[in-house]
Amino acid sequence: MEKQGDLVQGTLDMLVLKALARGTKHGYAVAEWIHESSNDVLHVEEGALYPALHRLELRGLLSAEWGSSENNRRAKFYSLTKAGRKELAQEAEYWQRMSGAIARVMQMA
Amino acid sequence: MKMWARVKALFMRKQLEMDLEDELTFHLTQREEKKRAAGIAAEEAKYAARREFGNATRVKEICREMWSFASLETFWRDLRYGARALGKNPGFTVAAVMAMALGIGVNTGIFSVLNGVALRLLPIPKAEQIVSVDQIFHGKLSRNVHGEPELFSYPEYKNYRDHNHVFTGLLAYEPFLEATLGGESPAQLMGAAASCNYFDVLGERPELGRVFVDADCNAPGASAVVVLSDDLWRSRFGADPSIVGKSVSLNRAKFVVIGIAAPGFGGLDPWPSAFWAPVTMQKELEPARGFLNEDNTGWLGMLGRMEGGVSIEEVRSDLRVIAARIDEQYPGRTTTLVVHRASFMGRPEERTVVFAIGGVVLAAVGLVLLIACANVANLLLARASARQKEIVIRLSIGGSRWQIVRQLLTESLLIAFLGGALGSLVAFWSMEGIAQFVLAHLPHGSPRLVWNVNPDLRVWGYSLALTALTGIVFGLAPALHATRQDLSTAIKEDSAGLTGKTGSGGFLRSTLVGMQVAVCMILLIAAGLLMRGLYMAQTVDPGFEMRGITQAIFDLPSQGYSEERARTFQRELIARVAALPGVDGVEQARVTPLNHQFMGTGVTLAGETEARQVEFNIVSPGFFTMLGMPIVRGRGFTKEETQADTGVMVVTESTARRLWPGGDAVGKTLRNFEKEEYQVVGVVRDAQASHLGEPGGIFIYMPAGPKEQANLQLLVHSKSGDSATANGIREAARTLDADLMVDVTKLEENLELWRTPSRIVAALSGALGTLALLLASIGVYGVVSYGVSQRIREIGIRMTLGADGKDVMTLLLRQAMRPVMIGAVVGVAGCAAVSQILSKVLYGIGSHDPIAFIGVPLFLLGIALLASYVPARRATRIDPVVALRYE
Repeated sequence: MEKQGDLVQGTLDMLVLKALARGTKHGYAVAEWIHESSNDVLHVEEGALYPALHRLELRGLLSAEWGSSENNRRAKFYSLTKAGRKELAQEAEYWQRMSGAIARVMQMA
Repeated sequence: MKMWARVKALFMRKQLEMDLEDELTFHLTQREEKKRAAGIAAEEAKYAARREFGNATRVKEICREMWSFASLETFWRDLRYGARALGKNPGFTVAAVMAMALGIGVNTGIFSVLNGVALRLLPIPKAEQIVSVDQIFHGKLSRNVHGEPELFSYPEYKNYRDHNHVFTGLLAYEPFLEATLGGESPAQLMGAAASCNYFDVLGERPELGRVFVDADCNAPGASAVVVLSDDLWRSRFGADPSIVGKSVSLNRAKFVVIGIAAPGFGGLDPWPSAFWAPVTMQKELEPARGFLNEDNTGWLGMLGRMEGGVSIEEVRSDLRVIAARIDEQYPGRTTTLVVHRASFMGRPEERTVVFAIGGVVLAAVGLVLLIACANVANLLLARASARQKEIVIRLSIGGSRWQIVRQLLTESLLIAFLGGALGSLVAFWSMEGIAQFVLAHLPHGSPRLVWNVNPDLRVWGYSLALTALTGIVFGLAPALHATRQDLSTAIKEDSAGLTGKTGSGGFLRSTLVGMQVAVCMILLIAAGLLMRGLYMAQTVDPGFEMRGITQAIFDLPSQGYSEERARTFQRELIARVAALPGVDGVEQARVTPLNHQFMGTGVTLAGETEARQVEFNIVSPGFFTMLGMPIVRGRGFTKEETQADTGVMVVTESTARRLWPGGDAVGKTLRNFEKEEYQVVGVVRDAQASHLGEPGGIFIYMPAGPKEQANLQLLVHSKSGDSATANGIREAARTLDADLMVDVTKLEENLELWRTPSRIVAALSGALGTLALLLASIGVYGVVSYGVSQRIREIGIRMTLGADGKDVMTLLLRQAMRPVMIGAVVGVAGCAAVSQILSKVLYGIGSHDPIAFIGVPLFLLGIALLASYVPARRATRIDPVVALRYE
């Protein structure tokens, strides 16, 4: 079982960006999405998510807006900006290369 | 974007706070509902949601900090909080600020003096472009020196001036030129012979008239013009503008005044110039010898103004080429040039001395500051334990250690800056006065000096850096210590501990006290050694008689006297002075004893080829009798030996012992540089007639023959030895030559100049030692008091169980004195090293002076004992019942 501590900071940022690639979400939904789409392998300590969201917002990769949730509660919705999309593309490409390389190394007997 | 978001956040603080709260609450509620929907009980779901979320306070804090100008805002908050904390505890604040003010004030003051003497740039326009050039020779050296060995000859100067590619102008001047200004009462002036571009290179405009033009330096002796200083113009000529165009007499040569230099301009040395004459007039100003055509005589200092965009490194490499070319004429010799931004005391030899002395003094005041720092650190430690609970609570609710350390450091910096500002202001305000006072009280014979000790940017910077550094130095250890708590035990811990230890921080506190005592010990022993040195200097027996002797100093060669005229003058002067009432002896000497003039030469022993350096004096036959220096072997000089220049000499006992060990010196011979042979006719008892405190050098006396008459000074013994004799001598000299400057003083006054350095040093070290002692005893007192207050309950219990006052006292004193004793031992050891250095710098100081090394530690231990006894006694008077209830 992976713990949050195993996620390096940059990785968390990338996961957050990926979660928002399909559209606007609030923080709770981001946490749930990471949870579900990794088949419960990646467990983000939920508190750590918010500093990441705020950091990305301050870097201009995300934009935020207050709206109301499915059950009519006030919630802060995040969406990717143009810069955010570009960053995600770069991160994804880099990740692909790295994980590919690591996989190849690990397969050598 | 980022900036703007933060600026917005700054003004919408409340909104941001609420949003953050809402956002996190929303998350927790959602999670909680999901858990409940999965069938978990309401209460359990709530806790599970929180558990999964982690430390919400911490998350909020991180986000909050992200949104703010973190550093600036927290700094401002820390500052306000710190100011409030200090304001709540005025006693502590005043004590800490005063300690810092003392420590930093003393340091800033001393540094501003050093800055004024040797660091600040010359007081001229665009001084940062001016560099000084000096030379140091290596290898085979034969060179004549007039002044200092780093100086240049006139042909060398012209070479550098004409062949460099880095200066807009290169000037040269003779720094040590004395001249008698003629008039109704002649005055002795310091002046300078300067190249004719001197004022142009420096960018100095005259207040009146003109400065030199190139034509003034065209030919030796051609242009007898002079620029006077504003100071001289006002004091001597009543600021009369019509003086320009008139002539004045300098060393009996007529010079036409062409201009008055700008007010405040006094040349390039700390001893201000009163006049400037063209360098080509050197022979007229110093008739005894002309230097202009001598290739290998150093007498000129050089300064250049760099062209724009040229670096000092480029200057060095450019001039090096010229130096190498000059060296070619002197096989076996290489010259290194020293080039740096021009300041007062810029010549390498002067710098070495100034920086050595400055370094020692700065180290001493640095030690005082260290003691002050230890005091404040101790106060902070005590306060930190009083604030233990506050700190622990902040740590346990998620404040990071760094945040609290930062808060505590802000407080200590606040103390440092308050103290630094106070101390520096007092130092700036008082230093000017102190410098004036010292300069006004220098003894007769020392040159007039000008110091600008006003603070400039460098001094401000120094004081600021020092303040910041001390704030961190004394604040960091207590802050780190206070936050290094084991949370659970600290919260549970009773404020008045029952353990046998001195409470938390006992070790750090003891270390600080030990360090204070050690440093204080070093300062006090050094001060003690210096005071003893001073005492010995005041009471030293120079080995000859000074009472009743008056000296008359005059310089005939500079006044154009020929050998013939000098002989006549001396003969008549002696006759007139001998006839004065009360006078019973008149003798001549090349230099009068202890007059800070040293004649040296090389002599060769029979059978040796290598020359030895010796000091010598040239004296008349009655010299030894007048000064009470007995001839122990052979005889003194005879009258006949002074009629002709005979090759005889008298040596001191040490000389005899060192040059001819085991044998009889009388009858032995020496050769001087000119291969003339001198024979020893007598041996005189050792006396400290040249260097006070240094008997035993090689010293020889030669008879005052006719050739020497121009250079001799007078020693007059009278029964009264009073001012009547002095006036009589002055009057006699004036009758013979009204324009001659004659300096008549008591011989004993020569001692003053020898004693002044050790007197200044002793006064300084005494003051610093007292300050250190005061600070250290406050430190010891504070720590013991604190220890006692921490252990009142323990003491109460001990006394209830049957311990009496004496037991408690012994216990407390033993614990208080342990760090003191350790510090004392370390201090004594450190001081043994320091005194080794001191004994080399200052004369008359034994490096293992038992009085200083035993007396000072005992004294300091006594003070420490007293400082611990007072609070300890208070503890023994405590009523056990009250003590047990004490919180």
